Amino acid sequence: MSSPPAGTRNPFVVDCWINLERWLRKTVRNPFVVVSSLLNPIIFLWLFTAVFGSVTGGALTSTLGENVNYITYLVPAIVIQTALIAASSSGIGLVDDIESGMFEKVLVSPMRRSAVFLGKALSEVLRIVVQVSIVLGLGYVLLWADTGGAVGTYVATGWPGVVGIFFISICFAVWFTALSNLMALWTRDQESTIIGANLVQLPLLFVSSAFLPLAVLPGWIQTVARFNPVTYGVDAVRALMLGQDLLTVISINWFGGVWNTLVPALGVLIGLDLVLGGIAVWSLNRATSADVE
Amino acid sequence: MAAISATDVELVYADGTRAVRGVSLEIPEGEFFGFLGANGAGKTTMIKTLVTLLRPTSGTITVNGYDVTDRPRAVRSSIGYMAQETSIDEELTARENIRFACDAYGVRSADRSERIDTLLDLVDLQAEADSLAKSFSGGMKKRLDVATALVHQPPVVFLDEPTTGLDPEARNRLWDYFRTINDDGTTVFLTTQYLEEADQLCDRISVIRDGTIVADGSPAALKSTVGGDVIDITLTEPTPETIQRARATIDAIEEAELSVEPTESGIAVTASNAHSLGPELITTLAESFEIAGFQTRSPTLDDVFLALTDESNEHGNASSDAPMDLEADQ
Repeated sequence: MSSPPAGTRNPFVVDCWINLERWLRKTVRNPFVVVSSLLNPIIFLWLFTAVFGSVTGGALTSTLGENVNYITYLVPAIVIQTALIAASSSGIGLVDDIESGMFEKVLVSPMRRSAVFLGKALSEVLRIVVQVSIVLGLGYVLLWADTGGAVGTYVATGWPGVVGIFFISICFAVWFTALSNLMALWTRDQESTIIGANLVQLPLLFVSSAFLPLAVLPGWIQTVARFNPVTYGVDAVRALMLGQDLLTVISINWFGGVWNTLVPALGVLIGLDLVLGGIAVWSLNRATSADVE
Repeated sequence: MAAISATDVELVYADGTRAVRGVSLEIPEGEFFGFLGANGAGKTTMIKTLVTLLRPTSGTITVNGYDVTDRPRAVRSSIGYMAQETSIDEELTARENIRFACDAYGVRSADRSERIDTLLDLVDLQAEADSLAKSFSGGMKKRLDVATALVHQPPVVFLDEPTTGLDPEARNRLWDYFRTINDDGTTVFLTTQYLEEADQLCDRISVIRDGTIVADGSPAALKSTVGGDVIDITLTEPTPETIQRARATIDAIEEAELSVEPTESGIAVTASNAHSLGPELITTLAESFEIAGFQTRSPTLDDVFLALTDESNEHGNASSDAPMDLEADQ
């Protein structure tokens, strides 16, 4: 028998699309998951601005040098929180597939493994873009209500800045996506993966520049925040929202303006993406190769 | 050329477990082959090695002429595989599950709709085609799983314990599908722990135990290994002492080729002519024992194992040239 009488292999892009389509279908079919995963960020945005909005003015003015509405200040933190939650669900999807047997089913098909995982990752990127858009829109509505319609400037760097915010959110999500998939591979258990992701979420957010300028926070938080990726993600998004260099954990003045924040922050995030992404890809490869574990 | 050919396959897990110990198989095209063994015998490890999910520690395997180690993707595109655990996406409908499989195996989009409909018909899910799979019963999910393994009309299909845990009706339906695809020329490799299933479906059976093939042959040959059907006799007072005496009584019957094993409630007599022998046995026993009941049945896998491992059983080696190195594993 010279060739298999049945079954053909698709080009890489087609394999990618098949998997992207499957994950998108599952996501759209469960709007509850998409909405409920936005619930926390929305509650944070709404309650934090309501509770702290009136008392943070001084801290913001003293560190940023201008009068910034806390809503505008907080939206970048919520954007990053949204990316964090979306990324953590990636591992949950993987565990789901392992438990339902779909993981093995896909492995025994002739699809390229890299295309299988890229397709799934792209569906998560799309989800992040949609959710971040919702958060940005909601922030604008809150600000509009708060200021009685006189919003003024919302994203200081304009539409290019909005595109930049999506880009940063995705760069930020990659390392946590990798981590959540590693957790899924280690535990192979849905509950552990969910608990693990939730467990690190709040500390990561609070011990960072997410909710207040680092300068007004206790010394130990400032120290820890330096090593917290959330700080870099939030500061980069915030730099685009406010149009100023506000990364304090690394001080670089070579690029001018917001680039003094964007370049080092993205450098840190992409570096982290490469390292953790590399480990995740390596582990997935190992888990999916035919070698006996 | 053989559809599946395995030579001296060994598989050792990282923890040192030798799950498969030197298995060789030669399965011609179109054969319905049964791989029979108890839980933990090495069936699933062997099937996963054949479908490229595990790499053999040593030995060679070709499926459809492709080496599983060198050309895994060629093997994958030319086989269908149904895992032991039902593997479907419950968040998709039946049609979407089959469609995803069609796409994954590169079924031409021009043929796709027709193929999906044919498969939905085959597994009787046409009426539920657009319902989410999570609403399906266990049997329906299994049927859907079968359909997704057949989308590319593979010449070889691997079925890992496809009917374990199903009710008799669902099981019979699956058997019908398997017969249908085998009649169409598909080579089928089926693992099972039920002798009855292998008997119903297979042209040829290998029995695996502790990672080694201990018997090989047609279902009829395998049954003759056991020495025929089994008569279970229930004693009113099944004490060790009465059971021992009953065994002795049966053994004293000269004419028949039979073997006697103690059971929880009495004794089990295996004989090639069990049906005609039954009344005589019961009459003889009734002279000295109170008999609560008796039943004649086909041999089970347990009986096969007993026959294969029981040194004193004169039929033990009847079937084949299979290796009988069972002592080492005891």
